[in-house]
Parts: sequence; structure tokens; C-alpha cells
Amino acid sequence: MARRRVATGGNGGRRGMDPVLGWFRFLEAQGAQGIALPVTLLFSLLVRWCVSLHGYSGRGAGPLYGDYEAQRHWMEITTHLPAAQWYHYDLQYWGLDYPPLTAFQSWLCGAVARRIDPSWVALDASRGIETHASKLFMRATVVALEAAVFVPAVVLLFRSRRLQMPWAARQAATFCALLQPCLVLVDHGHFQYNGVMLGFVVWAVHFALCEQHVAMAVAFCCAFMFKQMALYFAPAVFAFLLARCVRGPRGARLFVRLGLAVVGTVGAMLLPWIRSPAQLRQILVRVFPVARGLYEDKVANVWCAASVVVKLRSLLDLGSLVRLATAATALAFLPACVHLFLAIRRQRPGAQAAADASRLLRYCLLNTSLAFFLFSFQVHEKSILLPLAPALLLLGDGEGWAVGWLVQAALFSIYPLLFRDGLHMPYWVLAVGWAALCRCPARPADAPAPAPVARLQWLVALAMGAIHAAHALVPPPPALPDLYVVLNVALSCAMFVAFFAYFNYRQFTCLRPGAAQQPGPKPKTA
Amino acid sequence: MLAANEAAVLGAGAAVKLLLWPAYRSTDFEVHRNWLAITASLPLREWYYEARSEWTLDYPPLFAWFEWALAHAARLWDPRIVAVDNLGYAAASCVAFQRLTVLVSELVLFAALRRALRALARIRPGPPAQAQIAAALVFLSPGFLLVDHVHFQYNGFLLGVLVYSLALALEGRDLGAAAAFAALLCLKHIFVYVAPAYFVYLLRHYVFGGRGGAAQRLARLARLAAVVCAVLCAALGPFVALGQARQLAARLFPFRRGLCHAFWAPNAWALYVAADRALAAALQLARPGARPPPPHAATRGLVGDTRFAVLPDVPPLATLAATLAALAPACAVLLRRRRPCGPVQLVQAVVLCAHAAFLFGWHVHEKAVILVLAPLGLLVAAAPSPRVLRMHAVLSVAGFYALLPLLFGAQELPIKAAVLLLWALCSLALLRAGPASAWACLTRPERLYIAGHVPLFALAELVAPSLFARRLPFLPLALVSVYTALGVVYAWLGLARAFLCEP
Repeated sequence: MARRRVATGGNGGRRGMDPVLGWFRFLEAQGAQGIALPVTLLFSLLVRWCVSLHGYSGRGAGPLYGDYEAQRHWMEITTHLPAAQWYHYDLQYWGLDYPPLTAFQSWLCGAVARRIDPSWVALDASRGIETHASKLFMRATVVALEAAVFVPAVVLLFRSRRLQMPWAARQAATFCALLQPCLVLVDHGHFQYNGVMLGFVVWAVHFALCEQHVAMAVAFCCAFMFKQMALYFAPAVFAFLLARCVRGPRGARLFVRLGLAVVGTVGAMLLPWIRSPAQLRQILVRVFPVARGLYEDKVANVWCAASVVVKLRSLLDLGSLVRLATAATALAFLPACVHLFLAIRRQRPGAQAAADASRLLRYCLLNTSLAFFLFSFQVHEKSILLPLAPALLLLGDGEGWAVGWLVQAALFSIYPLLFRDGLHMPYWVLAVGWAALCRCPARPADAPAPAPVARLQWLVALAMGAIHAAHALVPPPPALPDLYVVLNVALSCAMFVAFFAYFNYRQFTCLRPGAAQQPGPKPKTA
Repeated sequence: MLAANEAAVLGAGAAVKLLLWPAYRSTDFEVHRNWLAITASLPLREWYYEARSEWTLDYPPLFAWFEWALAHAARLWDPRIVAVDNLGYAAASCVAFQRLTVLVSELVLFAALRRALRALARIRPGPPAQAQIAAALVFLSPGFLLVDHVHFQYNGFLLGVLVYSLALALEGRDLGAAAAFAALLCLKHIFVYVAPAYFVYLLRHYVFGGRGGAAQRLARLARLAAVVCAVLCAALGPFVALGQARQLAARLFPFRRGLCHAFWAPNAWALYVAADRALAAALQLARPGARPPPPHAATRGLVGDTRFAVLPDVPPLATLAATLAALAPACAVLLRRRRPCGPVQLVQAVVLCAHAAFLFGWHVHEKAVILVLAPLGLLVAAAPSPRVLRMHAVLSVAGFYALLPLLFGAQELPIKAAVLLLWALCSLALLRAGPASAWACLTRPERLYIAGHVPLFALAELVAPSLFARRLPFLPLALVSVYTALGVVYAWLGLARAFLCEP
């Protein structure tokens, strides 16, 4: 709680400082660094659990319920049926449509649930079960799995000596990455296990920084074998690893080892189905449901925003749409990936090389996933979580204001989803909290935003507030029932496109000799 | 204006408190809703007679007026809240309204702490960071977070009035302090625990402390009496005038309760009852087939009488005598010769008084430990001695830990563990006496005792419920109260020594 950030007062020079950084600098001044990490972890646990007291997707909304019921239903089928039936069983009722690692996770949680109370996961009989105890169990599994995968990855990454950050800045970055509101609200409010997938991605970034490329490949395979959405990162990871393979003297050997690692990891996870091509095809069909259409619901990507003007879905047939989306996506992510590949291949070995490469990788992960979010086929509004993960890992690289603002925009873009789940209160608390923590839109965390940007931030905040107020107070005109959601989509999409351009620009310029120092690691003030 | 860090304390505290809205709430929630309804919908003369709900009005009149004021807002918010027959009403709007009243009324504590710190800094200057941390630790303590914002009560507001009264005393405004304290007594009569400290202080410091002869002393005494009587008359007068004095007394002092609450508060009687149970068990082991344990064991009795198997019974008069005897150190702090009797001594005496009453009172509730810890927080804010800091650490960890059984659901388990651990970590690492942190000041046994709460939590909250649920359901709770009672008793001795012997 907030006895953190108590005592920068009495020190006029530090007023107006980012409160998170201020709290950790204060701990440093008090010689109490030992409690920094435990306090961060306990506070993020507290916030997560408090959010989980509120609503979730599809609560009390039978007969189909929502994402919560889907996850619970998978525990039910994986614990009761042989693996051969997992991707076939009653597909109309939340058939399993995530890759095998999610299925294994469901099986593990289901096995624990069966030990505690078999009625929570009884086959068919437990559909729509929403008892208090079963809800607590489900919430606890999210916390436990996130604590097992995501939290240690973030903590370890920001402890790495190869990142040149002062102690307080590392702690502040850890704090912000753990308490990023979108992830907290979607996982612990709406109910999903994105923390696991994103945790594997952060592990991959961590291993890249340690130059353990095989481990990086394995971690990334785990990520997309948990949720296929992690493939948004695939071009960046591929470009990074390929550059490593063509550069070093042992490149060919690394290439073989990487190939074996990928095939081995994916193969091991497909082991239960590996003998039957029909089964493998079924998994593929379930995991990549092309037939669902260009986008789902209302999502702040280019296709949905453009639909206000051009109804692409009625103009083109499905096949053309897929081709169009794929071409646009490729065009969008290629510059960043090619730049990453060339920059790493050209790199001279040295102490700075690993840190620079990791920095480029994080930019490229952000740009690629943002490209996929904006242009690819069948995007969910929740997929904005993917670009946010590498973005928060850039907190130490002088991107304070941009990342803070991106998180704010992302949170705004998912508010219709959160409000459907009855998460008004947590949304407002975390939105205001994040704005206050990162001093958005008033003041950035470290390198000050240029004055025009700061003014623009105020304007956008006003627009967001206006849309919120109108949504709450004025019923939309009968002819345009989705008016406010469409406004949200348009505004968010415009912001995401702007961020996409900005972060591409940053990736291309961040290693230039002149630019390297400018934002740089946070300066340590006396 | 608020400083940036004060805003941060308020903001982050409010964030967690707002998120806690859907958490468990006790029957106190319906108690207060019912009081809102009674004061809003019934004429004054029926307030203390209304009995449609079992949760009759049993706080003094000023608190009833407080509910009356809130009820005006409640009627605008959702008129169904204030309907007397709408028993058990707990719609989302009702929960939001009542949780919000706790959040807003707690600001009294925040303002009072600010004022007290400013006054304290003039008397005993210390590092400003220390004062702000101590105040933030009081404001965000697990006591208020768990009891007010989850369990549901208005302790933040009530303790705010107490701190406000102490702040007035620290500023040298004795009459104002007396008036505020008299008002506090009419808000909740449990504060009569600390009345002896105020009584002695006002007599020595205000009446006999000033200059002038007997006539002026008499004049000051008259002024003091007039102020206190004015407050009491304003609060109690209307009901006495209606001829309800007897009914009011019967509602405020229900003497039919037992020595210990269902969960023994961590005080001397908990140790006494535990000793009795242990002796009884030992006797049974030694002589199998002897008389079985008494039917109304203290651990089972909800509100009933506490019977003893081996040790002599404790009548209410005995607890009264013990409490009065235990007030001796508190009065000694104020009455020592050749020692000053200033407002800091008043705060010390208030701490010792509340502590003594907590240890030896009749039917003490574990929540009353907040009465000790809030004023003690003020003393920790201003250049505390290492001993005071040590006792504060032991008492706060043990006292707050004893509050955890209030929230018995599995849903609140992570909340109470995280809140208490966060608070303890910050308190032990950030409060300091001179250069040394509280943790560095502690002796080895004290550190072991504090760390021992972690295995105690594992045993009492995680292991025991499944292990002893059938045969010995009370054992985990008894274990908690005995373990925490040891710390509470130890801290009382240590605090008395520190306040009496240190310059």
C-alpha cells in the first residue's frame, strides 16, 4: 500500500518525481533495499487478489457463460477424457481451441481440483458451476501460474547486470511491469492465463540477454504452444536467432541446435497426438479458426476501424481477406525484423553488444506484435496485451512516457470488454492509479516528453474522458447503438498506429551514436 | 495543500480500499445499515427502543447523530437503505454507499494525524521522514484496512477523534482536548478505558499546573467542568429529558456477556483460560475417568458465561479490580514528582490505559487493540527510544495478527496475509530510533517471536483447519490467542518501563 512513496517530501528538489521511482529512491536512502522486492511482490499479489474479488467473463450468463467457463470446462474434459478426444469433444460448448500446453495446464489444474472437490470438474455435470469455493480455486490457479512463470521472469530480467540501470530504476521497472493494469484486469478480472504465455516470452527475452539462444528458443516454443497468439512475436524471434546463426563462427552449429530444440519442444508437446495426422490436423484447425472472420467483436485494429468507412467484409470473400490481411501484416512487420537482422549481423562483439541486441530485440518484439495486432486476421481486443509485454521491458531504456501512454491507451481500448464483465471499479482504480504512477498525462517517468507531446497527451486524455462520460450518461442514438464503442475503436486505433510509427522510428534510431546517450538509462541523481 | 507524498498515501490507500468492496463483510454491516434506517425514519424518542432488528442501537447518542447525518445522504443515494423494515438489505448500491462512508469518515483520522504531527514536531523534533512514515503506518494499518474496510466498522473515524483530541492537547489547548474527548465518549463508550488518563492529566496539567492561587484553580476547574458537562448534556440531555436514561444505560452496558469473547482476545484472561484448560487436560491424563470438562467451556460459549474447570472463576468485579490496579503505571506517568506532566506524557498515559484495559477488561474484543496502537503510533513518530520502538514492533505484530481470525473465509486469506506482511515489513525496516531500524533494535528473542507468527499462520490458517476441524475445532484459535497474548503482555511491561524510567 501506499506507505510506499511516503517520504520524498521535505526535499523540494525531488517534488514532481515519478512516485514509484521516488519510493525506491527513498528506500535506498533509508538503507532498506532489502524490503523493496518483497514489498513489490506482496503489493502486486494484494492488487491481483483484490481485483479477483470482482466480476469475471460470463458470470451468471448461462447457458454459454464466458472465458471463465471455457477455462474451467477444459479442466473438466482434459481430466476425464483421453488426449485423443480433447480437441473433438462437444466443440459447440467451448471446444478446446488453444495449443497443447494450455491443455496440459488445464489437465494439471483439473487434477488438483479433482483432489480438492471433484464436483468442480465433473464431466458435463459441472457445466456452469459457479460456487464460491470453485471460483476461489480458479482465481488461485491464475495467481499461482503467473507467480510461477511471469513473475520470476520479470524479476530476473530487471536484475540482469547487462541492463545498465541504477538500482532504483530497476526496482521501479519491475514494479510497473508487474502492476501493468491491462494484464491484471484481463487475467485476474476477466479471467485468462495470459500471464503464462507472456511469462514465457519474457523468459525468452531474458535468455536472449544472457546469450543462451537454445533456452530462448525453447521458452518461445513454450509461449506459442501455450497460446498461438505468441506467434505475433515469431518474426522478431526468428530474425534475432537467424542473425545469431549467420554471424558467429559457430553459426551453423547453433542453427542445428536451435532447429533441434524447436522440433524437440514442439514434438514433445504434441507427443500424445503425434502418431495420427488426422489428430494433428484437427489441432491445427481448432487453433487457427480462419472461418471466424476478419476480426471479432470490436477491436481497435485497422480493419475494424476502417470498417466505419469501407465494409471490407462485404466487399471481399474470405480468401481474399486472408490474403489481404497477411500481406499487410508482412509489410508492417518486415522493416523492423529486417533492421533487427541486419543490425545484429553487423554488430561487433563486445561488452555492450548483448545489451544493445537485447534492446533492439525488445523494440522489434513490440513492433512486430503491434503490426500483427493492427493488420492481421482474426484479432481479439485482448491481444493488445502482447505488444504491452515487450513495451514494459523497455521501461529502462528511456521510453518511460511512451510506454506509460501506450499502456493507458491499451487499457482504454479494452474498457468495453471490462465493463461487460462488471469490472468498472477495478478499471477505474487501476486506470487512475496507473495515470498517477506514471504521471500520465502530466509528466513522464524519466526523459521528459517533448512539450507538444505532453499537450497531445492532455488532449487525448480529455477525449478519453469525454467518451467515458458520454458512455455513462448519454444513451447512444437508436440508429447507432454501438456509437461509443466505435468511437473508442477509432481513437484507440489511431493511437496504436501512431505508437507503431513511433516505436519503429525508435528502433531504427536508438543505436545511432548520437541518439544512444540521449534517452539512455535513467540518470542517477545525487 | 496536500504534499505529494501525502496524496500518494491517501491515493494508494484508497485504491486498495475501493478494490476491497466486494470482500467479506460481517454482520456489523447490517448493524450500521439498521442504525441508518432507525435514525432516518424514526422519531428521536424511539431510537433506543426500536427492536424490529436484533441489531438494536447500542452506541451512545452522538454516534446515533452521526448515523442520522449519514442517513440524509443515504436517502438521496438509495431510499431503500433507510427503510426500517428492509432488514438485511445489501444491494450493490447499499454496499457502495456504506463502504464509501467508511472511506470518507476516515479522513478525520488523516487530518487529525497531520495536526498531531505538526504539534508533536514542535515539542519533540525528529527527522520529518520518520514522522511521515509513522503517520502513514497508522493511517494504513491492517487494523483499519481489515476491520473497517473488510469487516466493516468506523474505527478510523473514532480513532481520528481521539487523535484529534490528543493533537489539541499537544498544541496546549486543554479545554479543546477535553471537549473533543467528551464528544468521543458520547460517540463510543469504549473510550472510557482511557478516561482516567485524561482525568488525571487535565487535573494536574490544566487545573493545578497553571499559575495563580486557589481561586484561579477553582475557576479553571469550573471552566473544565462546564465544558465537559456542556458536551455531555448536549449528547445525552435529550434522552434523559425523555426519561430514557435507564433504557440508554441498559442498551450501552449489556452486562450479561462472558469474561472472554468467543475468540479470546489476546489478553491476560486468555492466558488464564488457557492455563485452566491445560490444567484440566493434565488432570484428565493423570486421573482418567475423573469429571468431564464443564459443559459451557469458554472456547465454545458464544456469548455465554465462561466456566472454569480447575482455576477459580473470575467475577466481573475481579476484572474491574485488576484493571484499576493495572492503571497504576498510567497514572504514575502523569503523577511523578519532579517530572514534567506534559502532553507527551498524556499520550503515554493514554497508551498505557488502553493497554491495561485491554489486558484485564471484562469481555474485551480483539479489535480494541487499535485503541492502543493508534496513540502509540504518535509516540513512534517523534524520536522514539529503542525500547519504545521494540515494544511497538512486538505489540503491533501480535495485536494485528490477533485480528486475522475476524476474517475467517478462504477468500480473505491472501488479503490478510499480504496486508499484514506488507505493513510489518515497512514498519520494521523504515521506523527508526536514531540510526537503527526497528528490526536492528530488536533483541534476538523478540525477533524470533515476531518471525514466529509466520509458522503460526501456516499452522493456524493452512494446516489446522483440515487437521483438527472435527476433533478440536477451537485449537487453532486458542493457539493464536495464547501466542499473541504473550507478546501483548510483554509489550505492556516494556512500555510501562520505558515511559516510567526513560527521561
